[in-house]
Amino acid sequence: MQHVTIPQDRIGVLIGEGGATMRAIEDRAEVRLDIDSGSGSVAVEPVGDPVTGMVAPDVVRAVGRGFSPEQALTLLDDDLRRFELIDIAAATRNQKDLQRQKGRLIGENGRTRELMEELTGAEVVIYGTTVGIIGSPEEVAAVRRGVEMILDGAPHGAVYAYLERKHNELTDGLSLSSNRE
Amino acid sequence: MSESEGPGGKWGIAHIHASFNNTLMTVTDQTGAETVAKSSGGTVVKQNRDEASPYAAMQMAEVIAEEVQAAGIDGVHVRVRGPGGNLNKSPGPGAQAAIRALARAGLEIGRIEDVTPIPHDGTRAPKNRRL
Repeated sequence: MQHVTIPQDRIGVLIGEGGATMRAIEDRAEVRLDIDSGSGSVAVEPVGDPVTGMVAPDVVRAVGRGFSPEQALTLLDDDLRRFELIDIAAATRNQKDLQRQKGRLIGENGRTRELMEELTGAEVVIYGTTVGIIGSPEEVAAVRRGVEMILDGAPHGAVYAYLERKHNELTDGLSLSSNRE
Repeated sequence: MSESEGPGGKWGIAHIHASFNNTLMTVTDQTGAETVAKSSGGTVVKQNRDEASPYAAMQMAEVIAEEVQAAGIDGVHVRVRGPGGNLNKSPGPGAQAAIRALARAGLEIGRIEDVTPIPHDGTRAPKNRRL
């Protein structure tokens, strides 16, 4: 059994209307979720297939970090979907700097975040002090590198150029992410 | 999958050490004393940086599953560990892929246990890496 703590305002999303989302996760991942809505602690207990049971805490964590339940459940779709978190707070000095870097990551009208999603094919969610990424290992690695560049102070143009190059690499080798367009 | 008759039907333990630089897999008997099969990232990929990749882990798992089944074991309990100690606590990218590939290769997966060494306050952790 594993415990995952999620923020208060994501508990409602995790449970869903009348518990629908919770049951969907329980069915798909063959686990039992014990949600403590007071503390935000979720106990994940595998009851069926141990292999999906291993992914389930990541699904709950993804919902807790701002992903929609549908996006989070894609983690169970195939072996190679990965969920990764980047902590922006660790890379920033103070609250004001955090705010500024979050703004840079999201971009004007969300342009930067959207471009990260479109060019790599991964799902990117910026919530609180974290950047969450769901995608195949290469997609996640590309987004991660892009985020690190921005946090390091690289101009947006340079990051777009990097993502553009990655996009070509990702679509040339195997046309995995091209079918998303 | 679960043919528990005959000389087969034995269980083993698959130890998977998944760090961010490599994935090491060792399958032993239930005591952990006799190694049945082992593999690491370097046996399937050429570039050092690919040793920890999920693809490498899948290929390793396939090879290992074959050897293990030849030895008459058709189910394994899994013990995953990350680098642990004062280093990173979570298993690397190879762990999940390896377990999935083992399951797909026809091995029954029993319990999955996380055996990452957790310090009860040991040595000082490395200073924070800059992104």
